[in-house]
Amino acid sequence: MPFFRRFIDLMSLGSERPILRLVAYYLGVGVIIIGLAYFYPESEKLLLGRGAATPAQTPLILEDGLTPAPAATTLSAGSLLELTVTTTLVLLGTMVLMLPVSWVYMSARHVPGHAQAVVQTLIILPLVVAGIVLIVRDSLSLAFSLAGVVAAVRFRTNLRDTRDVVFIFLSIAVGFAAGVQTLAVGAVLTIVFNFVLLLTWRYDYGRNVLTPTAASQWAGPLASLASQDDHDSVPDRDLVLTLSPKSADALADRFERVSDVLGKRGKKPRYTAVLSVQTNEVAEAQELVEKVLDDKAKRWKLDEVVTNTGKPSEVYYILRPRKSVTRDELLTAIRDIAGEKVEHVDLESRDAIEEEVGVSV
Amino acid sequence: MKLFRTIAILVAAITLTSACKQRGEVTEAEAQELATREKRLADRIAGFAVDTVGGPALARWVLPAELKEISGLAVTADGNLLAHNDEQGRVFVIDPKRGLVTKQFMVGGGDLRGDFEAIAVSGADIFMLVSNGTIYRFREGMDGEAVRYTTIDTKLGHECEFEGIAVDRGGVVLLPCKNVGRKALRDQLVIYRWELKRGASQRPSMLMIPHSQLIGPTGWKTLHPSDMAIDPATGNYVIIASLEKGLIEITPGGSVVRSGPLPEASEQAEGVAITKDGILAISDEGNRAPATITLYRWPLAPAAVSTGALSTTNPEDSR
Repeated sequence: MPFFRRFIDLMSLGSERPILRLVAYYLGVGVIIIGLAYFYPESEKLLLGRGAATPAQTPLILEDGLTPAPAATTLSAGSLLELTVTTTLVLLGTMVLMLPVSWVYMSARHVPGHAQAVVQTLIILPLVVAGIVLIVRDSLSLAFSLAGVVAAVRFRTNLRDTRDVVFIFLSIAVGFAAGVQTLAVGAVLTIVFNFVLLLTWRYDYGRNVLTPTAASQWAGPLASLASQDDHDSVPDRDLVLTLSPKSADALADRFERVSDVLGKRGKKPRYTAVLSVQTNEVAEAQELVEKVLDDKAKRWKLDEVVTNTGKPSEVYYILRPRKSVTRDELLTAIRDIAGEKVEHVDLESRDAIEEEVGVSV
Repeated sequence: MKLFRTIAILVAAITLTSACKQRGEVTEAEAQELATREKRLADRIAGFAVDTVGGPALARWVLPAELKEISGLAVTADGNLLAHNDEQGRVFVIDPKRGLVTKQFMVGGGDLRGDFEAIAVSGADIFMLVSNGTIYRFREGMDGEAVRYTTIDTKLGHECEFEGIAVDRGGVVLLPCKNVGRKALRDQLVIYRWELKRGASQRPSMLMIPHSQLIGPTGWKTLHPSDMAIDPATGNYVIIASLEKGLIEITPGGSVVRSGPLPEASEQAEGVAITKDGILAISDEGNRAPATITLYRWPLAPAAVSTGALSTTNPEDSR
């Protein structure tokens, strides 16, 4: 949808930040809704939940029960048009509400958590739910029929991530809100949901500071794999069963590269720590951090730059600090020189991991 | 992209077409149909027309789904009917002679809900009754308007379950009791007289008529009034009973004028009203069929009558 993209680009001043783009989207939708409510006042019913409870337009000619007139007994062209418009607006409203939810899902759920099926479900499911609710409305008998039909169809789909379930619940809730013609509730629900989710993603809310790092998690199993001690080693037969020739070659290549970085056998490792830096200004931060590393590290190497949109990018260095430099000194020096250019900086050292996990290779 | 443009143009066209249809517009054909209905009803009242199918009804209007559970019926000073369903504080104004819902208005903000059982009119005031005896008082509103209301708590809910309300010529609210709480009164028709002038602290007087006098030869075992109206010509009380499918007429003094079946077999007669020009309107709640309002000539043809003695008491006297 190039038009939408151009519109949102214009509204968000070309920003790639998801929060700004969401704000721009909702502003645009708000303007459209105000316009719709102005030119087509009946649409207000769909937003404020009066639709289901509001009777037909007045004056309303009642059917004559003694001498029925054919014109009055059936659905008139006017009511058919109204029904069509209402249903169309309800379904369009549902899509308008669910599109940003799917964008947030795609933004905040990078691989491997991302599932295309879930994204498509987020758009389609609320449409179906809204349609069902529109049909069932206040009819108890239809509701029982629906329960019977649903009971006959069994679903056995497991979602990989519990957070996906929340998205599915949200799409059902929006479908219900649209079905009972209370789109305003659905709108508030999705807006709050989207912004809360983006903020929790942006600030990594809920991250346990005591959670072991990736390096410390791998320290034990890798040491066990490399051990030549009979008690701790992983038997070769197990590796034979686990690895294919292709994956064994790939693993060998990776270990060779790691060996090159670490240095020759029998000598001390060339690099003993990983420095991670989170920043919104990668180039400037890199320049400042590297100045400190020149001074405080015996040797260092830029390992990886992970660029994020909407939250700080990550820069990783592997290094061997000078003996006289402690972890705190290094981090303090970086914070002093980089100031606000750096959001977060951390140093993970090999010695600390070995001490924590109790591994000695 | 082309598909998107096509959908957008279609939606815009539908929206504009729908917006162009003026709210409240009656087409020429519909106006002609309404005029025909009015003339047909006048002919039937005058006795010129003999084409009424299936009984003495002058007209029967099939109500929309919103009034499927129609509960109360009342006549305004200009001859229109007020109707409401039993859950929502929404009042429909119906022209009984043309079968036309002329307008509807909401009591309160439009989301007022309750077990609304009956409605009555006295001058410019409208009274809507909840089964626990609480009365909502308000004025007629414009089409789509939300009207303000005040409530009157009669505190009679523990003594009685109500389904009917009427206001007599003297401005006294009459509340016939459907299910009487006090054992000693269960074999009588009890009508509370709530005087608006006396305020909320009053203990209303009661009109009590033994069931034996009302039932007479009808074969009913008891009587459960579902609504009440005042005959504008005589001032008599006209009560319908849905369970017994009966209609009784009593004088304000308690003498029984008429006691017999409803003019036609009805599934669930929930509301009654009588117009100044002699039309009896009975609303029938829709169960298997849609809800209806049926019009009859009033007074009805003579039926079984049993006269009985008056019994008027004040509850303080009976304690």
